[in-house]
Amino acid sequence: MIVEYESKNTPIHSLDPRAKILWLLVVVVISVIWSDPVYLFGLAVSVFIFGAFARFPWEKLKGLAVFLTVMAVIITLAQGVTYTPAVAHLKEPGRVLFHIIPAWVPGVGPAWPVKLGGFLYGIGMTLKVFTVLVAVAVLGYVTSPSEIVQLIARIPKMPYQVGFIVSTAWKFVPVVQAQIRSLMDAHKSKGVELDRGSFVERLKKTSRVVSPLFANALSMADTLALAMESRAFGSSKRFTFLRPYRFKALDYVVVLACLGAAITSIAGLALYKVGSL
Amino acid sequence: MFHLTDKAVCLKNVRFRYKGSNRWVLDGVSLDVARGECVAVLGPTGSGKSTLCGVMNGTVPLFLEGDLQGDVLVDGMVPAKVGTAKMAAHVGLVFGDPDMQLFGMTVEEDVAFGPANLGLDYPTIMERVHKSLVDMRLTGLERRAPYRLSGGERQATAIAGVYAMLPDIMVLDEPTSMLDPQGKASVFSIIKRLKEELGITVILVEQEVDDVLELADRVFVMNAGRFVLQGTPREVFGRVAEVAAAGVRVPHVVRFGTLLGAERVPFTLDEAVQLVESGGWLSGAWRDTSDDAGAGGEKGTTTTAGHTSNAVSGATSPGHPLGDVIIEVKGLEHRYPQGALALRGVDLTVREGEFIAIIGQNGAGKTTLTRHLNGLLKPTAGDVRIGGRSIKDLTAAQVSRTVGYVFQNPDEQLFCNSVEEELRFGPGNVGLTGEELDRRVEEILQDIGLAGYREVWPKYLTKGERQRLALASVVAMDPAILIVDEPTTGLDWLESLQIMDYLKRLHDDRGKTVLIITHDMNIVSLYARRVVVMAGGRVVGDGSPQEVFSNPGLMAKANLKPPAIAELSVRLCGQVALTPEEAVETLMHLKGAREGLQ
Repeated sequence: MIVEYESKNTPIHSLDPRAKILWLLVVVVISVIWSDPVYLFGLAVSVFIFGAFARFPWEKLKGLAVFLTVMAVIITLAQGVTYTPAVAHLKEPGRVLFHIIPAWVPGVGPAWPVKLGGFLYGIGMTLKVFTVLVAVAVLGYVTSPSEIVQLIARIPKMPYQVGFIVSTAWKFVPVVQAQIRSLMDAHKSKGVELDRGSFVERLKKTSRVVSPLFANALSMADTLALAMESRAFGSSKRFTFLRPYRFKALDYVVVLACLGAAITSIAGLALYKVGSL
Repeated sequence: MFHLTDKAVCLKNVRFRYKGSNRWVLDGVSLDVARGECVAVLGPTGSGKSTLCGVMNGTVPLFLEGDLQGDVLVDGMVPAKVGTAKMAAHVGLVFGDPDMQLFGMTVEEDVAFGPANLGLDYPTIMERVHKSLVDMRLTGLERRAPYRLSGGERQATAIAGVYAMLPDIMVLDEPTSMLDPQGKASVFSIIKRLKEELGITVILVEQEVDDVLELADRVFVMNAGRFVLQGTPREVFGRVAEVAAAGVRVPHVVRFGTLLGAERVPFTLDEAVQLVESGGWLSGAWRDTSDDAGAGGEKGTTTTAGHTSNAVSGATSPGHPLGDVIIEVKGLEHRYPQGALALRGVDLTVREGEFIAIIGQNGAGKTTLTRHLNGLLKPTAGDVRIGGRSIKDLTAAQVSRTVGYVFQNPDEQLFCNSVEEELRFGPGNVGLTGEELDRRVEEILQDIGLAGYREVWPKYLTKGERQRLALASVVAMDPAILIVDEPTTGLDWLESLQIMDYLKRLHDDRGKTVLIITHDMNIVSLYARRVVVMAGGRVVGDGSPQEVFSNPGLMAKANLKPPAIAELSVRLCGQVALTPEEAVETLMHLKGAREGLQ
């Protein structure tokens, strides 16, 4: 999930990109090792708080929210039916909560029982996906592609041009998204019902945008390269970064907090099974 | 070899052909440009102008490979030997599309991109960035993201980015081609500043001839890889017939002066008024316009600055009977998901057989309105009825049988592998097959002049051909209404006339209702019978071109300027004329009436 970077004056935006990336890594690690939905919910809340400090535009996640709601229902019910993990603090992980096909359905009901352990596990899985996707979106929103360029350029023996290639690709994601929308609109305007038919039919109709998209992207890449060359790109081995980043007090606080959280959660899980179902 | 290193640019008998091609795109071009001079290069698409720009900074032949012959010396260096990146500190190249040349996440970062590439130290970069922003009048926008700027500001940022590298020469390749009138005005004021106050040598490739006349010291007209005309603007535009024959639009004021037989053609409205008031035109004057056949003029039909077109103007064409109401928009509001209210209660009624131009600045709501007419957008409030049926419950695909929509960028609506396949795509979706489909495709291929390209991949066509194909691919579905979003943007004048004439034929011969969105007031004056003016998400004016152009308050409200000939005729005759021919006729009529009274 990519949300376009916006230059804003918030404490999160001004963090060193290394601190921001460490934050994402720690969120990913913790979400992977924990499985208890209560703990995962706490992690999700912490991501929301981080995003709130960055004044993240939550309305941009509407599409993601719809997708995740559908996924959440599917994952939770599927896990509830098919999986019964041994849950340490539950006496009856196999207790049936309800049936997907209720008893009153003649002939087939009750069928597909949803069990407590699997149900909780499914909710945990959903929260993991949700937390990581939101964290990635927040990171994209607060991290300028030029920070990514600097990060890559600081890798020993890495030419700064490589960083630019990565950042340019990142920056043009919204441009490509807009092109996809235009191409789909053009299809609709020529009588194509993109939203009707079976999944395979719709996929087939939508796939027509791939070829022009690819051709347009190639031509765009050509023009960009020409324009970059005309601005002396690559003329010197050195590139002067406008705002060379340095660790500030807040960066140390974030890094220490992230490392602390990572160590505590790993140790807690290993020693006391904290965060595990 | 040259000994003219005091010159900014010296080209001698330059020829170039692209790799794999036998056609010389540049075919013996020689050009000397003095330091501090402003040279304009005009000419139709494909005449070699952009290749010429590329030669000056080495992108041709280093990036766009091919066979380059002749001598090229720019700021005392041979670009093909020095390399484009190193030439950047001597010659700056600005392209037409600002979005393809902005690399920073903020204006400041973007302007710093060039100096940073040169490896300069931080204080020097910031000094240059600051100077560029001040000189290009961009102060206050340093931390703004380029995509949040207006088109004019984005192009100004692109120019500032090049200027920050302190080049002595700036080459601007159609820098205003993607901009609205306000953006164009802003960029031309910057170019004027580059030339007059900052002492930069400017080589300007343009289609906007009116602005070039006042700006350039010398004008070169290019056609088929050669300079076919050159001299001061007055020398070149004194030869109206040759300028027109080369595919360059002759400004209406110049055409007006030529029709009056003026010895010194006027460039500005004041000069034209002075010409008439001095009576200098009376002696040799009002030559029958048919004498100007060489210049493309033909009395009795409307001509466009020297080019023959089939244009109808509201004033000159015979009345076309209108049918029933076909589009009805009532209290239409639209709010985008991001929260912006783009339409604020639009009411509009369109009858069958109308030819309407919708005008207004970027952001006025023109495209948002027209996207409701084919169902791509749904109203937040209010309603749109097409042929009496609300679009609320219809999909865009269903509406497409009645309303054909042509987007601004042809590359975003051509997706088939050949021209013919493209024409078959739409009709196939609405159930047309067999001989009827074959006949229709054949007819359209002839109509748009692409019969010889039926197997060609649309990407290989010129922009003008792609634009015509995009229009034709929608026409093939035979909708009663055609909506065309900026049909002439990025096209040269002849291509613009070709596409507009095709639209006019569809209107006149096949009774199509046509709505165009355009920024080009010359196109409006030549083709539209009704003009809808939009500003701030509302319709602020609606009437004939004459009514709209004679209302200075309305034009100011929409931040637009009427075409020069309309302004001129109001000043001279007190009424709006839409073409130079019409202005002269009105003037003669008034003169005759006055003489009759005496």
